[in-house]
Amino acid sequence: MSPVSDANDGSGPAAGGHGGHGGPPRHGGALPPESPHPPAGSRPPGSGEPPGGPQGPGVEPGGGEGRRRLAQAVWPPRVTRAQLIVALLLFGLGLGLAIQVRSTSENSALRGARQEDLVRILDELDDRTKRLEDEKGELSRHRTELESSSDQAEEARKQRKEKEGQLGVLAGTVAAEGPGIRMTIGDRAGNTDSDALLDAVQELRAAGAEAIQINGVRVVAGTYFSDSDGGVRVDGRKIGQPYRFEVIGKPQDLEPALNIPGGVIQTLKKEQATVSVRRSEKITVDALRSSKRPDYARSSSQ
Amino acid sequence: MIAVLGLIVGVVAGLVVRPVVPTAVEPYLPIAVVAALDAVFGGLRAMLDGIFVDKVFVVSFLSNVVVAALIVFLGDKLGVGAQLSTGVVVVLGIRIFSNAAAIRRHIFRA
Repeated sequence: MSPVSDANDGSGPAAGGHGGHGGPPRHGGALPPESPHPPAGSRPPGSGEPPGGPQGPGVEPGGGEGRRRLAQAVWPPRVTRAQLIVALLLFGLGLGLAIQVRSTSENSALRGARQEDLVRILDELDDRTKRLEDEKGELSRHRTELESSSDQAEEARKQRKEKEGQLGVLAGTVAAEGPGIRMTIGDRAGNTDSDALLDAVQELRAAGAEAIQINGVRVVAGTYFSDSDGGVRVDGRKIGQPYRFEVIGKPQDLEPALNIPGGVIQTLKKEQATVSVRRSEKITVDALRSSKRPDYARSSSQ
Repeated sequence: MIAVLGLIVGVVAGLVVRPVVPTAVEPYLPIAVVAALDAVFGGLRAMLDGIFVDKVFVVSFLSNVVVAALIVFLGDKLGVGAQLSTGVVVVLGIRIFSNAAAIRRHIFRA
């Protein structure tokens, strides 16, 4: 060390500033051992940098002495009363150190926390819990709303789809299938005209026919029949013989309706036409019409 | 040498035996450990200075621990425990640093 420490070593009584060891002077209280204010005239080795810029040659002996003392203390081991007492205290220190390190690393920060800290942490947790509860309530309410609204939307969508199907069958924009009859009118004499077909269609409608097509032309509300040379035009499309009706409806109603005395079939047969009617459990009406947007009529339901 | 052995044995015992510290003492253990560390550094420095006296070491060690714990205890009672223990740790830390500096100068001559 510096000359200062030499001075300390030399003048025991003056060396006041040592950690817990007043040295020869032996402070009674021993507690302010490292008092940063040593008695005037001497400077403890530990208080800041050594005084005096250039380190004198005295530095060397000081350090050497310290090392020598350390080596002496460490080796060879000597069992003296002082060593034993110090060992006992250090044992206590090691024990406390180990316990503290262990408890700190084991049980998070809560174990060593003070009461006020714990109270604060608890308060924070309560606040947080309340906030989260509120948030949860909000979110579940939101969810319920969304669920019910999506249920409603789903229901509405289903109804709309159903309605669309029904209207589509009526308007001829979708294919339809179901039980019904097939009627074929063969007419070599060419006496069957648009009137006869119109009569047949009207009879079928009156008997509850729900979808009709004739030779691949869908018959809807606006369908018209007109005569053309050697055939009939349905909605402007010429169809030739034989005329094949595919009709969806209740077969038990449709067939008798055609067969009534003085009805469609009798009339046709009078004109030397051949008519055959067959019931079927599965009639497919797949001729389509494009839906036409009405120019003037608007729905008044809204 | 015996003293160093004592420290090692203490650490090992603390890790192996896992003694349970009474709850009442628990808050003061860390402060007490820091105070004891301070005393140990002071003792090491005194030894290097050649002025080590075992009795002084023992008294300073024990009184350091007791006073540190007492200050924290008092702080807890006054409601400034956290601040006061911080203050104690700061003071002890400064002292440990200055002692460590002295020890360093002894050993490394720098």
